[in-house]
Amino acid sequence: MADSIARPPLHAIENVCHTFVLPSGQRLEVLRDVSVEIREDEVVALLGPSGCGKSTILRILAGLIQPTSGTVRVRGAPLDGLAPGVAIVFQGFALFPWMTVVENVRAVLQAAGLPAGEATSRIAEAIRMVGLTGFEEAYPRELSGGMKQRVGMARALSLRPEALFMDEPFSQVDALTAEALRAEILDIWAVHHQNPSAMLLVSHDIKEVVMMADRIVVLSANPGRVRTVVENTLPRPRDARSPEVLALVDRLHDLITGHELPDLPEPAAAPAAAPQPEILPTADVTDVIGLIEWLEARGGQDDVFRIAAESGRDFGHLLQAVKAAELLDLVDTPRRLAVLTTEGRAFAAAPPERRKEIWREKLLALRLFADVRDSLRQAPDHRLPREFVLETIVMRMPAEDYDRVFEVWIGWARYGDLFAYDEDEGAVSLQ
Amino acid sequence: MTLPWFAGENRRVRVMARRAFGEATAFLRHTRRLGWADLAVMAALGGVVFAASRLAHGAVLPLRPAVEIDLSIRALPGYTLLSLMRGLAALILSFVFTLVYGYWAARDAVAEKVLVPLLDVLQSVPVLGFMPGLVLSLVALFPGSNVGLELAAIVMIFTGQAWNMTFSFYRSVRSVQPVQLEVARHYRFSWWQRFKWVELPASAIGLTWNAMMSMAGGWFFLMVSEAFVLGSRDFRLPGLGAYMSVAVAAGDGRAMVAAVVAMVVMIVALDQLLWRPVVVWAQKFRQDEGQGGGEAARSWFLDLVRRSRLVRLVRHWRRRAAGSVAAPPRPPAEAKAGSGLAARLLPLALFGGLLVLLVLGALALVHLLREVSGATWGTTLLAAGATLARVLIAVALGTLWALPAGLAIGLSPRLSRLLQPVVQVVASFPAPMLFPAVVALLAQLGIGLSGGSVVLMLLGTQWYILFNVVAGAMAVPSDLREAAASYRITGWRRFKLLLLPSVLPYLITGWVTAAGGAWNASIVSEYVAYRGRTLTTFGLGARIGMAAEAADFPALAASVVVMSAVVVLFNRLVWRRLNDHAERRFAP
Repeated sequence: MADSIARPPLHAIENVCHTFVLPSGQRLEVLRDVSVEIREDEVVALLGPSGCGKSTILRILAGLIQPTSGTVRVRGAPLDGLAPGVAIVFQGFALFPWMTVVENVRAVLQAAGLPAGEATSRIAEAIRMVGLTGFEEAYPRELSGGMKQRVGMARALSLRPEALFMDEPFSQVDALTAEALRAEILDIWAVHHQNPSAMLLVSHDIKEVVMMADRIVVLSANPGRVRTVVENTLPRPRDARSPEVLALVDRLHDLITGHELPDLPEPAAAPAAAPQPEILPTADVTDVIGLIEWLEARGGQDDVFRIAAESGRDFGHLLQAVKAAELLDLVDTPRRLAVLTTEGRAFAAAPPERRKEIWREKLLALRLFADVRDSLRQAPDHRLPREFVLETIVMRMPAEDYDRVFEVWIGWARYGDLFAYDEDEGAVSLQ
Repeated sequence: MTLPWFAGENRRVRVMARRAFGEATAFLRHTRRLGWADLAVMAALGGVVFAASRLAHGAVLPLRPAVEIDLSIRALPGYTLLSLMRGLAALILSFVFTLVYGYWAARDAVAEKVLVPLLDVLQSVPVLGFMPGLVLSLVALFPGSNVGLELAAIVMIFTGQAWNMTFSFYRSVRSVQPVQLEVARHYRFSWWQRFKWVELPASAIGLTWNAMMSMAGGWFFLMVSEAFVLGSRDFRLPGLGAYMSVAVAAGDGRAMVAAVVAMVVMIVALDQLLWRPVVVWAQKFRQDEGQGGGEAARSWFLDLVRRSRLVRLVRHWRRRAAGSVAAPPRPPAEAKAGSGLAARLLPLALFGGLLVLLVLGALALVHLLREVSGATWGTTLLAAGATLARVLIAVALGTLWALPAGLAIGLSPRLSRLLQPVVQVVASFPAPMLFPAVVALLAQLGIGLSGGSVVLMLLGTQWYILFNVVAGAMAVPSDLREAAASYRITGWRRFKLLLLPSVLPYLITGWVTAAGGAWNASIVSEYVAYRGRTLTTFGLGARIGMAAEAADFPALAASVVVMSAVVVLFNRLVWRRLNDHAERRFAP
């Protein structure tokens, strides 16, 4: 360890910012001032909710994307083009469906310019390593998700890369398979005299990163920023039920909720007097109602992470629903808990018509909806174009996808019987 | 274009493919004598060689613009083979054109802005519009032999085949999954590797279906391509189309029937021996990972070929050859930097050349059109109106029967299984070969060509509507059908609430294709040679036919320009809007 500090890291980005320009011309800030390092013989994890740009960081490190600003280095030298010695395992497997297992692996070896004989022995080795023997001539569509990702791993490992980059590699396979794949890839990494020596893991699964990583880079979203870096020195192999692992999982939970759901409400306390419209969480009405029903069935409160785990809902999505319920004053969030407010309980107990009334009252307490209603009242035939509404509601959300924000906004308004929307004409009107 | 049949998934093919794969290596272990499958394969190869050499032999004969056509039945197989070779040669030409043009348009953002609209225009130029210029220039290029004329015929068939293949390929390359391109980039695929491993496979299914439709489209003008009059000169090449033309002119009923039978035999043979196997084979290029339902496509011929010892032997040798010749190790990064400049200059040079060509062409066209008088323009526009009316009536009539029939076929798995091969063959049959019979029938009924030409157009284009409606009906989600059944929504209400909205996007695609076909068909249906006489009616198609025959180039250019303009405008203003609307409202 001591001498690896003297040497420059294998891969590094320094003060990277990145902005996408969407087809509509709007600019989307994905990363702000991000620095990450990957050293030899270590596993680094990028952890964060969806939209924090973790996959973008991986692609910038691999040289697939040029950052808008900032430096990318490989062994200390500035990177130009694709990063050498890197192989990526992709989230959706990204296998060519018209090639057999062997052909999928052979393609990358051939592209790397390996002689045919050498390629054949490398293919056999990689296939043995990931436990795919017997499946050589199968097409990807004949394989289960876990087997497909083994092909993705064999393809990457056949190049004997110094660094293996994995982009949410286990998010599309079932939990048991993911467990097996994690153990296998750690075993392969642990053999010190062979590549890969470093691994980068992109994940939103806290348990996964605690089990696998030496260093956990915790990111926050919109735009993506490094929130903190947690060193994980627990000895390997790690036991998922050991108190140390559970304690670290807990610590990471608190870190993320503490940031995403702060206990002190933002200064926009008195909605009517708020200088600007609120930020609209992108959660559909059904998600919010679902959350309230869930909480009511559990005595009015539950741990946000437990909800995510038990409901199988992606944490990022759930967080939006919690924020939405909080914005509507139906839920309160002390620490990691979501607790129904008095009004939340009333809402849960109310019949459908009464629920809509409560919902409408809550909407009108928000400038996001009250402003539009006032404008509609003054409009000639009480109709306004969609663009007018967009201007109002996206003012504080320049990084969001407009269409999605509008969809959510009009969904909330429709549920509250507040506004109607004619899709063909793109016009919002009073209900 | 939406492609109708066999759009299903097929597990048996995989098993078959794996079996063939295993057998290929097991070949050396048990040697048996040649089987009958090998004899068949050899016979087929022999036939191809024979026909190709006949074609080549005929082509280098001294120029005889109008060969004598022997109307005896004995001569027919030879003529049929010659026409088949022309069709296949044109298909190969279309394929090469498609790969070059489609790829260029898809991967060069600057050229794309010119190439795609140009293709749109090319597609709307009636096939006959290309004829005189092509024939005269190619014949002049090879003054001593029939090569020019032979090439002209092939290129004319090509103009009926290429465009939709090119569009399909362009769209496929443009819509290759981004992650697959990312893999290609990350793993440093060379340009050629990306093409053969990613882009071409991703386009294979679309290309197959469009090639199949193109082949049928190419036959449509076979009679014109092989036998035509240009000014004072009579051009004729030995082939099935010329045979039919001569038989019609001579009023030889027996020969006409024989030609139709030969055509049917050729189409069925092509379907069984070429298209079915290719379609089944192309299944391996499916993108979807899931298990779609649908009918398993099978081909007895592909089974046969895969069982053939001969084919396995060839494969085996190819594989050994590939194994022993090791790919030379490439220097990883530098290879690209050196060719960078050339790689960047080549498309630019090509693009510049294309622009120059376009400008020259436009100037020549303007020069020609200056000779056209105002009165002629007026008549041409009026004629365009008459033909437009016929095209729309033909599409409406086609819809009237093809919509209910297509729904009936598509909603019943049994019917679609039974009728699928039949409809496929009937639809590939070139309608102009039936025109003499239909014209005779119309004359009996006392219907003139003004209305009769609508019937002739209908004959060629109704299938596009039928195909698309069948495809749409097959795609109606079964849970919606079950829902309708359980709520007792039946009859007219079912049609209005469920079936029509579901098939509308498909129906519109059918309309666009059918209308395009009808415009093209107007040339041969408003101007029909029949028993030594020429029947004609007022319309744009008739004007093109007449101008071509009289070698009146200014009038021909004016008519073709008007037709292309009307087709492009109609596509933009009516079909595309209708299509966008249907996609927005009714797409799932």
